[in-house]
Amino acid sequence: MRLETRKLLDKAFSGLGLISIAVMAIALLLILTPIVWRGSKAFVFKGTIEHRRVMLEQFHRGNAEKFNKDYAEVVAARAPIYDMLTDFEAGTEQRVSSIETEMDAKKERAKELKAEARVLKREGQTEEAEKLEAEEDRLKDEAKALKTQISELKESRTEPLESVIDALQELFGPMPGQRTPVLLRQQYGQTRWDRTLVKLHEVLYTEEWDYSNADAMGILIEKPRIDQFIGTEMESFFPYLEENISEMMQPRRTFYWQFITDKSKDSHIFGGIWPEVLGTIYLTIGAMIFAIPMGVIAAIYLCEYAKEGRIISFIRICISTLAGVPSIVFGLFGLAFFLNTIQVSDSKSVLAGSLTLSLLILPTIIRSSEEAILAVPRAYKEASLGLGASRWHTVLTVILPAALPGILTGIVISMGRAAGETAPIIFTAAVSVGAPLKLWQTLSQPTPALPWNIYNLCTEHEAVDEIRHVQYGMVFTLVAIVLLLNLGAILMRARISKKLRG
Amino acid sequence: MTEEITMKKIDTFAERSDDKKPRKTHIEAKDFSLFYGDFEAVRKVSMKIPKQKVTAMIGPSGCGKSTLLRSINRMNDLIPSTSATGEMIFDGHNIYAKNIDVVTLRARVGMVFQKPNVFPKSIFDNVAYGPRLQGIKNKQKLAEIVEESLRNAAIWDEVKDRLQANALGMSGGQQQRLCIARALAIKPEILLMDEPTSALDPKATAKIEDLIGELRKQYTIIIVTHNMQQAARVSDLTAFMYEGVLVEFGKTKQLFTNPENPQTENYITGRFG
Amino acid sequence: MSKKANTSLIMSDAASRRQRISSLLGQSILFLITSLSTITVFFIFYFILKDALPFFKAEGFKEFFTTARWYPSGSPAEFGALPIFVGTGLVTLGAVVVAVPLGIAASVCLSDLLPFNVRQIVKPVIEVLAAIPSVAYGFFALVVFAPLLQNHGGAILSAGVWIVLGPLIALLVVVMGDLITDKLRDKMNPKTAGAIIFPILGIAAFIFLYRLSAQLSGVEISSGTNALNVSIILGIMALPTVVSVSEDALQAAGRELREGSYALGATRAETIIKTIIPASISGILAAVILGVMRAIGETMVVWMASGNASRIPDPWYNMLQPVRTLTATIAGDMGEADHVTGSSRFHVLFAMAFCLLAFSFIMNLVSEIIVKRSRKKLGK
Repeated sequence: MRLETRKLLDKAFSGLGLISIAVMAIALLLILTPIVWRGSKAFVFKGTIEHRRVMLEQFHRGNAEKFNKDYAEVVAARAPIYDMLTDFEAGTEQRVSSIETEMDAKKERAKELKAEARVLKREGQTEEAEKLEAEEDRLKDEAKALKTQISELKESRTEPLESVIDALQELFGPMPGQRTPVLLRQQYGQTRWDRTLVKLHEVLYTEEWDYSNADAMGILIEKPRIDQFIGTEMESFFPYLEENISEMMQPRRTFYWQFITDKSKDSHIFGGIWPEVLGTIYLTIGAMIFAIPMGVIAAIYLCEYAKEGRIISFIRICISTLAGVPSIVFGLFGLAFFLNTIQVSDSKSVLAGSLTLSLLILPTIIRSSEEAILAVPRAYKEASLGLGASRWHTVLTVILPAALPGILTGIVISMGRAAGETAPIIFTAAVSVGAPLKLWQTLSQPTPALPWNIYNLCTEHEAVDEIRHVQYGMVFTLVAIVLLLNLGAILMRARISKKLRG
Repeated sequence: MTEEITMKKIDTFAERSDDKKPRKTHIEAKDFSLFYGDFEAVRKVSMKIPKQKVTAMIGPSGCGKSTLLRSINRMNDLIPSTSATGEMIFDGHNIYAKNIDVVTLRARVGMVFQKPNVFPKSIFDNVAYGPRLQGIKNKQKLAEIVEESLRNAAIWDEVKDRLQANALGMSGGQQQRLCIARALAIKPEILLMDEPTSALDPKATAKIEDLIGELRKQYTIIIVTHNMQQAARVSDLTAFMYEGVLVEFGKTKQLFTNPENPQTENYITGRFG
Repeated sequence: MSKKANTSLIMSDAASRRQRISSLLGQSILFLITSLSTITVFFIFYFILKDALPFFKAEGFKEFFTTARWYPSGSPAEFGALPIFVGTGLVTLGAVVVAVPLGIAASVCLSDLLPFNVRQIVKPVIEVLAAIPSVAYGFFALVVFAPLLQNHGGAILSAGVWIVLGPLIALLVVVMGDLITDKLRDKMNPKTAGAIIFPILGIAAFIFLYRLSAQLSGVEISSGTNALNVSIILGIMALPTVVSVSEDALQAAGRELREGSYALGATRAETIIKTIIPASISGILAAVILGVMRAIGETMVVWMASGNASRIPDPWYNMLQPVRTLTATIAGDMGEADHVTGSSRFHVLFAMAFCLLAFSFIMNLVSEIIVKRSRKKLGK
C-alpha cells in the first residue's frame, strides 16, 4: 500500500474509534434525557386547583383560606358549564314533554275518534265509521312516530350528553351536587395542567377507530363533539370550556418536592413515592449491613493472611463465579433458601431481600476492597510491624485507615448496584402496594421498592397512561440516587489519586 | 573459599580489638543463612555486633546486606517462602527459635526504612503509635514520650508547633527523622537503618548523619548503606558483604585504609560494585 | 530502661500456646468469613438444582429442550422451552453484535487514541452507563424506545443503516480504490486512475446504501417490544463491561510492544491492529464473554421490552418479532407459579435457572482461564 493510503487508513481508523465513543456518549444522553426531563416534571409542573385541593384535603398542606378563595373563583368559573348542562337537560325535558303533549293530544283524539267510530258503526253508518277509523289509525301512527321521535330525541341528546358528562367528570371531578364517589381518583379532577389538556381534548373530541383496511392497523379518527350539539343549548358549551379552562383549573407552577416524601394515595394516582423510596433505603442499607463486614473481612484475609495456594485460588474462582451469577438466579436462590428453607420470615420480607442483595454485591465489595488494600504502600505495613505491632493491629490501625477511601469507593458503588437491582427482590422482598414500614417491620414484612414499582407501574397498573409522570418521577429518583452515589465514588477516587500523586 | 577466610577473621576480631574496655556483644549471627525459596540470599554469616556502636554494612546491590539487616528483626517473615538456618542470637536467645515472640522482638529492635514511610496520620500519632501499642494511654505520658523522641531525633524544634498536622506534609528529610523518632519512641535497644538517606538530598542526609552520631551514645545502630563515605563517616565498625557472604568485618578505619581482603579493597577503591 | 526487664523475648509455653490458639482461631474465623462466597456458590448450585431436578424427573429432558410448545398452565401442561432458548440466544446475539464492535473500538480509542485528560472525561460516561439500574434501561426500552420503534420503525432502521454501515463502507471504498489504483499503476497514471476509480466505487457504495435504507424504511414494525429493541438496549448495557475489560487487556500489552512497532515505521492503526490486538486477544475474548454473560443474565429489560411471546421468530433471525427469554420467563411466571410450589410449573423455572447458572459458570471459568493464560504469556 502507498504511504498516503496508510495514513488515510490510520485517520479513518482513529475516526472509527472516536465515532464509537461518540455513539456511546449519545446513547447515554438519549437514555438520560427523557428520564431527567420528564422525571423532573414529577417535581416541577403546572399544578391545577385540584392538585392544591388534594394537597389540602389529603395531606393537610397549604393555605386553606387562600385555597377557599381560589376555589370559590373556580366554582364560579365552572358554574356556567354546569348551567349549560342543566339547561340542555331541561331543554331535552321540555322538548320531550312538548312532543309528549302533542302525542297525548293525538292519542286522545284517536280515542275520541275510536269511540265516535264505534257509535257510528252501531248506527249503521259504516262508511263514515271507516273514514273515522282510517283517521284514527293515522293519528295512532303519528303518535307512534312521535314516540319514536322522543326516543330518538333522547338518544341524540342524552347519550352524547352522558358521554360529555363522563369526560367532564374526569376533567373536573364530580358534578356539583353529586354524591361523593368511593374511589379517591374520582373525587378529584385533573391535578396537572398537562393531563388537564389531554382530558380537555377528550371532552372536545370523540375518538373512533377505522378498521376498514383489514391489513393495516386501525386508524384513529377524531370528531369534534360540538357537531353533535349544533343548534342546542350546548352549542356554546365547548367553545366556552376551551376558552375558560385556565380559569376553571387555575394552573400554577408548582414545586412538589414532597413527591419523594409523600405517601401514595389510591395506588399512585395522587401523592408521592415515599413507601418505595423508604423500601429502597431499607433494602440497600440492609444489604450493606451484611455485605460490608463480610466483604471487607474477606478482602483483608485474602490480602494479608492467606497464603496463595489451591484453596485460595479456589475461593477466588468462587468469588468470580458468584459475580457472574445472573441476578434472577439470586432471586430464586433467595426464595428457595432464605424463605423456603431457613425461613427467615413467613412471607417475603425486607430481611430476605437484603440478604439476597448482600450476596449479590459481596464479590464487588471483596474485589474493590482488595484493590484498595493492595494499593496501600507496603512501607506502612513494614513500619508498623517494625514498631512491634501485631499483624491484626497493623491491619486495624494502619492498613484499613489508609485503604478506607478506596474501600468506601467500592462500597458506594455497590450501594448503587443494590439500590437499583430488581430481579433479586421480586421473589424475596417486593410488593406492589404497601405502606411505609417501621424499622422493626422490616424483619417480617415485604416492602414496595423503587425498582420493582417502576416495573409494576409501567406494566401492570390499571391506569398506565394516567400516571406516566409518577413512573418517570420514580425512574428519575432511582437514577438520581444511583448516579449521586457514583458521583460520590468518582470524586472520592479523584481525591485519592490526587493524594497519592501529591 | 572466601568463607573460610572470613570466619577466621571474625574469630580474631575480638582479639585484635584495640579497645581497652571489654566489648559487649549485642547481637550475634552464627552460621546464619537466609533463603528466598531456593535462593540463598545470606550465606552462613557469623558476626558479633557490639553494643552501642554504629555498625555499617556495605557491599554492591544484591549482596544480601539489607536481607541480613532485616533478618535481625525478622522483617523477612513478611515475604512468603523465606526460611532461615543457623542462629541469630539476641539477648541470649536465637530469635529464629520457635517460641520467640516476634512482636516483642520488633519492639526491642527498631527499624528505619529506605524511604521515609510515615503513616498518613498526624505527626503526634505517628510517634505515639508504638507507645500506644505497648498500652500507654495516659495523654501526659504519651506527650512526654513524643517530645523526648522528637527531641532525640532532632526534629522537635521544627514540628513542635504542628504536632497535629498530617505527617505527609513534611519534607522528605523531616519525614525520615520523624520515622527515626517513631522508632525511638518504642525505646528499642537496637536501631536498624536500611539505607536511611538514599531517598534524601545532601542537606537532609547530613542532618541524619549528625543524628546517628548522637544516637550511638544510647543505641546499638546497624546501618546499611550504599554510600561508602557515609559508612566511613558515621560508623565504628564496617562489614563488607558480597554475594551473600560476609567478606570482611572490622573497625571502620582499618577496613577503609587497610582492608585485608582483596575483594574488599577492590570494592572500596571502586574497581567493582 | 525498666521496660526491658519485663519484656522477655521468650514467651512462656502457656503464653505461646495462647497466642498460637488465638491466632489460629482468629485466622480460622477470617477464613470462614472469606469462604462465605464459596459456601454461597455451593448453596446456590445446590438449591437451584434441588428444585430443578423434580422437573426433569417428572417431565424428562426431551420435551423441555426440543419442542416449541410452552403452555405451563394448560392441561395437560406443555413445557417446550425451545422458543425461550432461541429467544435468549437471539437477543444475546443481537446484544453482542451491538456491544462488541462498538466496545472494542471504544476501548482501543480509550487506551491508544485519546489524550489523558479526555480519557478522564470519557471514563465517567462509561461508569454512568454501567451504573444506571437495569430497570431504568427497561423503562426506557418500554416507554420511550418501543413506541418510537413502532411508529417510526422504518425511519429508525434506515437511519441506523446509514450511521452503522456508512463509515464502514466509506472505509472499504478507500481501501478497495487504493488497491485497484495500485494494481493499475503500470498501465495508467495513478492520478487519473484514482480519479476514475474512486468516484465509481463511491457511487456504487452510495447506491447500495441508499437502496438498502429505502428498503428498510418501508418496513412496518407491528410491535415495538421486540428482539431488536431489547438487543440494542442490552448491547448498550453490556458496553461498559466490554470496554473496561478489553481496555485493561490493551493496556496490559505494554509500551514496549507499541514502541517496537512504531519504531519499524508502522502507523498507529497498523500498530494496534497488527500488534496490540493480537497480543491482547485473549483479554478481549474475555471481555466479550463477560459482555455475553451480562446480556444473558439481564432480567428487567427483556422482561419489560421483549414482548414475551414464546414462539420462535419466523424466520428464526427475525429481530422484529417479539421473543421471550429465560430470565423473563422465570421472573414473569414465578408470580403465578409460587402458589403451586411442588408442581412442574414451579420446578421448570428452577430448571431454567439451572441452565442459566450452568452456562454462566462455564463462561466464567472459560474467561478466567483465558485471562490467566494470557497473563502467563505476557509474563505478569
